[in-house]
Formats: sequence, structure tokens, C-alpha cells
Amino acid sequence: MTEDGKLDLDQIRAVIQIASEAADIAELEVQSPTLRISVKKAAAARPAAASLPAAPPAGAPAAPPAPAEPDHLVAITAPMVGTFYRAPSPDAPPFVSEGDLVEPGQTVCIIEAMKLFNEIQSEVRGRVARILVENAAPVEYGQTLMLVDPSADGA
Amino acid sequence: MFKKLLIANRGEIAVRIIRACRELGIRTVAVYSEADRSALHVRMADEAFCIGPPPAAESYLNIPNIMSTAELLGVDAIHPGYGFLAENPHFSEICRDVNITFVGPSPEAIAAMGNKAAARQRMKAAGVPVVPGSDGPVRTEAEALEVARAVGFPLIVKASAGGGGRGMRVVHTREDLRRALQTAQAEAEAAFGSGEVYLEKYVEEPRHIEVQILADHHHNIIHLGARDCSIQRRHQKLLEECPPPGLRDRFLRALGKAAVRAAHAINYTGAGTVEFLVDRDGHFYFMEMNTRIQVEHPVTETVTGVDIVKWQIRIAAGERLTLHQGEVEFRGHAIECRINAEDPRHDFRPAPGTITAFVPPGGPGVRVDTHAYAGYTIPPYYDSLLAKVIAWGSDRQEAISRMRRALQEFEIAGVPTTIPFHLMVLDNAFFRRGEVYTNFVQRRIDLSALAPAASSGR
Repeated sequence: MTEDGKLDLDQIRAVIQIASEAADIAELEVQSPTLRISVKKAAAARPAAASLPAAPPAGAPAAPPAPAEPDHLVAITAPMVGTFYRAPSPDAPPFVSEGDLVEPGQTVCIIEAMKLFNEIQSEVRGRVARILVENAAPVEYGQTLMLVDPSADGA
Repeated sequence: MFKKLLIANRGEIAVRIIRACRELGIRTVAVYSEADRSALHVRMADEAFCIGPPPAAESYLNIPNIMSTAELLGVDAIHPGYGFLAENPHFSEICRDVNITFVGPSPEAIAAMGNKAAARQRMKAAGVPVVPGSDGPVRTEAEALEVARAVGFPLIVKASAGGGGRGMRVVHTREDLRRALQTAQAEAEAAFGSGEVYLEKYVEEPRHIEVQILADHHHNIIHLGARDCSIQRRHQKLLEECPPPGLRDRFLRALGKAAVRAAHAINYTGAGTVEFLVDRDGHFYFMEMNTRIQVEHPVTETVTGVDIVKWQIRIAAGERLTLHQGEVEFRGHAIECRINAEDPRHDFRPAPGTITAFVPPGGPGVRVDTHAYAGYTIPPYYDSLLAKVIAWGSDRQEAISRMRRALQEFEIAGVPTTIPFHLMVLDNAFFRRGEVYTNFVQRRIDLSALAPAASSGR
């Protein structure tokens, strides 16, 4: 979902992708004040269903009343065309891995463009929910690189 | 020959280049902005890569992102089309530095023609006639007055870095000269970052006639004849034809030779166009050279049977021109109408929007180059050219009849277009007699006569 409350297909796609790629997830539900996406995997891999608008969920987490931080995944996108690298050098450990906690301004990856290494930072505090691009893969402008869950425990 | 070519452009010219590549067996890479996700060139190319947000400055003019895409996807050539980076010597130079072939002339040749005052001097030295005027840039009023004494009024003040009609001022009297000079300098400074201006005699009611040339890397230069592009509005061409009506073969041959001399003088390679002004007495003067493919190239292709875009790519790959000047044949007459998403009833106001119906014309002698389709939404960020209709006839009269027929067949709904305007020109008695000049639209076309009712779906 974007800041103005509109549906963001990329984010829905990302949720579907998470559900479909993880073998141990049978059902995944992501919700925010205006949107609830629920993905249920059938044996025959039934397509995902998105419902909008969602009724206020009964068991909503005890979020502070307005102005609440929207409870959804935040995408980190490529600000330029280039090559995506998860680590500062081939031998170094990756900047972040799935499940890691990130702070605003923390470098999460590098995009190499025209021999220049551009550090990409997270704009939010949260847990890295998913890394969507393989190390050393080319990325387009605007491509979603990672999803950060700002509501995750400990974030 | 190249294996993979990136098209650094959008719209109908990107589609045209993809077609040429397909016929040559070259794989294609389309680049696109976020506003062009559903564009035809993106669908047609073998690969497509998003290079930036909708504004051209951040996407189609974004050299780092375009060069990164070229390197990541392993292309060996870049075709710049027209507009955007096509006449940017810096871009051509970057391509050369990273060993990717720029489909166009050398950075030196682009730069030589990019500065209009310098280009004028070079052409004069090469024996190509130029409009009488100043030798190089003019800085002071005293210098300007001296030029005025030599060539007389009216004069035109032009920006050295200008082109396409921008940064110009016509001066009719001595008294106006100082103010025009100052305004033009300030305007040029603001528009092009350089206040350098020069003076030329103002040619009244000229025709705009240009010559298509092809030059390979083996010192062979040929011309493919001339086009008349006099039907313009605010220096924007609207209708072009090949050959120019009412001119003798001898005159056209002299024009062709002058264009070849111009290309020679700057070691030009690739496809290019030398533009001339032709005055009422039949004198021709070099105006400028466009170092790229042009929108109106199809009229020349139609009359000569030469595929200019394919040759442009073959020349860039180092191939030798196998076509000699004596073998270039001119058959019949061709006209191109630019169909823009503009409302001719409202001062040609651009009208972006969604095309709800789109049925292009066909039949004998009709070609349509377009990137539009039913359901396509024209983004508001780029130019309004929607389609080019090219009609061929065994003579000019048949070409006009075919064009009329084709435009009446053309069904476009959802956005207003320039089709009603073109029909008006085609029916104009002066146009039919071949009496055209650059202020034709102003003088001969009554735009207020375009009835709003005539717009429905056409």
C-alpha cells in the first residue's frame, strides 16, 4: 500500500510471492487499516485472493490509536539501474539477511552503476521480511529489492 | 553486424528501429520510463528495462541508467532515435569510451553542427551557400550595425546554441536592433546556457527544403533527394513531401550536391539531413544539419525504396554503402501527415488521454508508422506525435487523393487529433498547386473554420 492509501500491486505481488515460495506457509494474512491481503495455498495452488476494504479485524494488535504507523511491509526499491550486491565485497558477510533488524539509514545493499557503488539504505526501522533479488543480479529502476516489516516484534 | 541493440527512445521511432533490427536479425532492448510500462516498444522488444520515473530528464535523458542497462544486458550498439539524446555529443562520446557503438555520427561531427554559428562558418568555407550575415558570433551593437549595413534589413538574430526555431528575433529597423540583440542574448542564455548570437538576413516567405544523406565509414556519401517541409506551425513540421513540388531536377541535383559537400566538410557518417532555405527567387541557403534520423524519413524511403534506418545501422556496423548515387531512383510522390494528439481547434493544444478506438488506414500506397493502439493511454510527459501516415502516388495528385482517402479511413476516438487540419490543407487550392512556404498555415489556413462537429471520433 502506498502512502495515499491506494493499492500497490507490487506489494500484493510480493506478499503472494512470499506465501508461494515458502513451503512451510499454508496461509498468510497481511493487514493494514484499509487493506487486508490473505493468501491461502490449496493443494492445487489456487490463486491468491485480495479483499478490500477490510473490516477492522477483531483481534487487531494493540496498536496505538491514530495516528498509527500503517501495519504493512515497506518496500525498499532500486533508485537506479545497476547490479544488486548484498555484501560490500565478495568475501564479506552480507549487509543484512532475512530476519535481521534494520535501523533508518542503515545500509542494506549496494547497487553498482557505472563502476560506482551506491549504498542503499533502509528508510524505516523494522525486520527484513524478504530479500527479493539474487546477489549480483541486474535491477531495473524502481524494482523492489527487499521488504521490511516495521511492525515485527522487537522492531 | 551487431548482436543486440538498445533503443534509447520511445514512441513510433522506437517501434521503427525495432522493426529494422528484426529484419537485420539483431536482438533488441527497449528502455522505458514508469509512464511507458504498457508502451508498444516495450512489448515489441526482445528485452525491456525500466530506467526511471516519468519525466524525461530522469529517464530517457538519464545517461547513467541507460549506460548501466546497456552494460548489464550486454548490448553492442545504441540507437538514439530522434530528440532526447540523439544530438548530444557527450552521449555519443560516452558510448565510444565504453566500446558500445552509437548509431550516429562521431561526437566531433555532432558538435560541429551543434553550434549554429560555427557550422555556418564551416559550410561557407566548404563552398555551401549560407544566408548572408555575420561572420561568426555578434557581441555588440556596433558589430550588429555593421552587418546590417552590409546585408540590409530585415535581419534575424539567432542563438548559436539554438535550433528548431527557438531563440530567434526578427529585426526590421536600425532602431530595433539594439533591443532585439539584448533580448535574444538574454533569451539564449536562459534557454541554452549560452548567450552567443549571430545575425542573418531574414529570408521572407522561404520554403524549407532538406536533403537526406547517407555516409559510410569508407568515404562514400550519397544523397537520397530532397523533402519539402514547408507546412509548419510555430516551426513544428506538420506535413512533408518528397520530392518538393514544382522544382526542376537540375535545381534538386544542385541541392543534393551541396548537401554532400556539407557532409564531407565535417567527415560525417551515418544518416543525416541538411536543411536549406529556398527563397522566392530560387536561391538556396544552408540552414542547419540534423545529425540523426528524422521524423519525416519515410517519405524518402517510399520514393527511393531505400530503408534508411536499416542503412543507418549497417553503416554504424562498418558496412560499405553498396548503393551508388547513380543508382538512386526516385519513383512517384510521397506525402507524410503527422497525426498528433492535439486539438487544432484550440491552438493545437496537446490532449493526452486514452484512445478508445484505433483503426489505422490501409490499402494501396499507404503506410502508417505508429506506437498507438486501442486502449493505449497517451502519457502527458512526452511529445504528442501519435502516428505518421505516408501516402504514395505515381504523381503528386494521386498522393494527395490517397492521403485524403487514408485520413478519412483513419478512426481514432478518445482524443482529438490533427486529422481535420490535414484534410483542410489537402483541400486547399494553393497547396494543390504546390504553392507552399513556411508561413503557409498562417496565410492560407483558416483554423476557425474547423467545425467542432467534424471532430467526432476523427
